[in-house]
Amino acid sequence: MISLIHFLNILLPALYFFSFLIYFYDFMKDEKKFINVERIFLFITLLVHVVYVFVRIIEFDHPPITNVFEIFTIISVAIGFSYFILELVTDIRGTGLFIIIISFIFQLISSLFIQDLIEVKEVLRSNLLGAHVISALLGYAGFTISAVYGFLYLVLYKDIKLNKFGLIFNRLPNLEVLERLSLYSAVIGFITLTIAIIIGVIWLPSAFPNFSYLDPKLIGTSLVWILYAIGIASNIFGRWRGRKLVLLSITGFVVALLSTFLSNFLARSFHSFY
Amino acid sequence: MNLIAISINHRTATVELREAVFLSEDEIRAVTKKAKENLFKEGLVISTCNRTEIFGFPANSDLTHQHIKNLITDIKSSKEISDENLEKYISRDALRHLFKIASGIDSLLVGDNQIFKQIKESFQIAEEMDFAGFLMKRIFDSAIRTGKRAISETKISDGAVTVSYAAVQLIEKIFFNLSKKSALVIGAGETGEIAAKHLRDKGIGRLALTNRTFEKAEQLATELNTAVFPFDTFKDHLYKFDIIVSATSSPGILLSKEEIRSVMKKRNFEPIVIMDIALPRDVDPESKKIESVFYHDIDSLNIIVEQNLARRKAEIPKVEKIIEEELLSFYEWYNSLQAAPTIKELRDKFESIRAEEVEKNINKFSAEDREKLEIVTKRIINKILHHPTTELKKTDETGYTGAVRFGIIRSLFGMDSDKEEK
Repeated sequence: MISLIHFLNILLPALYFFSFLIYFYDFMKDEKKFINVERIFLFITLLVHVVYVFVRIIEFDHPPITNVFEIFTIISVAIGFSYFILELVTDIRGTGLFIIIISFIFQLISSLFIQDLIEVKEVLRSNLLGAHVISALLGYAGFTISAVYGFLYLVLYKDIKLNKFGLIFNRLPNLEVLERLSLYSAVIGFITLTIAIIIGVIWLPSAFPNFSYLDPKLIGTSLVWILYAIGIASNIFGRWRGRKLVLLSITGFVVALLSTFLSNFLARSFHSFY
Repeated sequence: MNLIAISINHRTATVELREAVFLSEDEIRAVTKKAKENLFKEGLVISTCNRTEIFGFPANSDLTHQHIKNLITDIKSSKEISDENLEKYISRDALRHLFKIASGIDSLLVGDNQIFKQIKESFQIAEEMDFAGFLMKRIFDSAIRTGKRAISETKISDGAVTVSYAAVQLIEKIFFNLSKKSALVIGAGETGEIAAKHLRDKGIGRLALTNRTFEKAEQLATELNTAVFPFDTFKDHLYKFDIIVSATSSPGILLSKEEIRSVMKKRNFEPIVIMDIALPRDVDPESKKIESVFYHDIDSLNIIVEQNLARRKAEIPKVEKIIEEELLSFYEWYNSLQAAPTIKELRDKFESIRAEEVEKNINKFSAEDREKLEIVTKRIINKILHHPTTELKKTDETGYTGAVRFGIIRSLFGMDSDKEEK
């Protein structure tokens, strides 16, 4: 089993990179030669990744959330999986390379530094904690994808305004589609983050005697949650559309990044496990 | 193959001459009638605003390009056509030229697939007038296949190559579903009319018009079944539209930056596309600096047109490869019409039928009769094929008549369909 884990650990970045290359080729050439191959290959990559995660869970007897590099592999699969679902639902394929490169980077870092931890804190073996962390990561995966589409929106917006009708103009979907993709990813992220917060608020006080509502990670996450809630509500009520909306999504993502960084590496609390 | 062709096109003739030799449908019929009576066994006459072409298989060996030119000058006597105005083609070059036309690479606007439809219509006329015979039908099939392959296998027809289509392409890069959008066309002149028709054809949700002369706008609005606003009040309604196309002949700015800004405030800065295709411009170009205003004028649309044309031109080698493949395939078929291969195939076909039937029934014969059965059946086949074989060998192998005769034999005995099945 360990040798399988080590093999998959090496294989996964290679698979993501190859998926990225196929999407990249298709984006540059627009020949639609690999239009189905890229989707099938990404599916195989994600399948291998899910197997890898489960094999780790079985072998090490804890959810893969005990250190940063385990978290990174979950972020990688969550981003890849969310994109795959989005591509299936919308059938918009021209943007895969911008998302898969992120999965690749996270998985590469994870593969390089991940360790085979068998001895972990007892609390990290909890399935509820697993559900809490994984749903939070799915939320952040949604926000990441939303920010990427937001960024692509801004690039295309600028190109159209400046009469630059190059590769970006020709290959990307139209602005409204990019805005929707950004919005849908943010909504999915928001829902899963809400689930993570609910599990956390119910379970964390009983699991951690030193639980505090002033915990930096809790405050940061709440701030991110409020930002996205405002953006989504504004969109529903027709107040914020287009550039404003994607700017909000990108802001939300930056705040999420900062909050994760600050709460994990600078502030110490019951909420830091590694 | 003795196919012969003349072409008056955008390379050889001025627009005045091209217009002068343009043949209406009735004139095509008249030329076809004359060509059939005096010059060709079968052929094709194509005429569009950018080219007039005559293809045919000569009835006499002394036919020259001058005779074909006279077909046009007899009907269009007002214009002098010099030798420089003609491109002349024979045999394989004539066929290659037709394939180039069908694929759009010979068009003034490279990749323009309107020509594809026009060739079909020309062929229909030739067929109705009994001018498209056995060979011409095959050539037409190959030309159409070449055109279809060029469109589906290359990007020769991709992207907008006119300003009005470029405007639509740009609008589609901003909005997802035009059926949920509304557009206002300011100006009911020719440009405004084309823009309005393009938008309607693209399924715009709501279309409205305004024009300084209200009656003109009303007339166009009735034709297109759209709403119409009086020119002096249209600014009050601007905020209701996602797309504004301005194409008036106004000498100065119609819409200032401040007016556009106030429209955007009313729209809560929801994106708006302004296509200013008027010369001089109708909308203050500074409006593009306002958030969510996508302002474009003729110059920016021309950038798209030029880029698309350059991309189409880059596809020409791929189309030429398809043309060469189709030429090869056509000549493979054409050469199969010659005597030796046709006779051999005909004999093989009969022999395989004989052998199959003998094999099926062999058990009904006694051992000593089986050899006789082989001899007798072979003799029957030889006798049946003797006369056709002799006649086919007599035929001029390269001539038009020969090709038609071989073609008929092949068609009657399903020899080409056998090949395709294999």
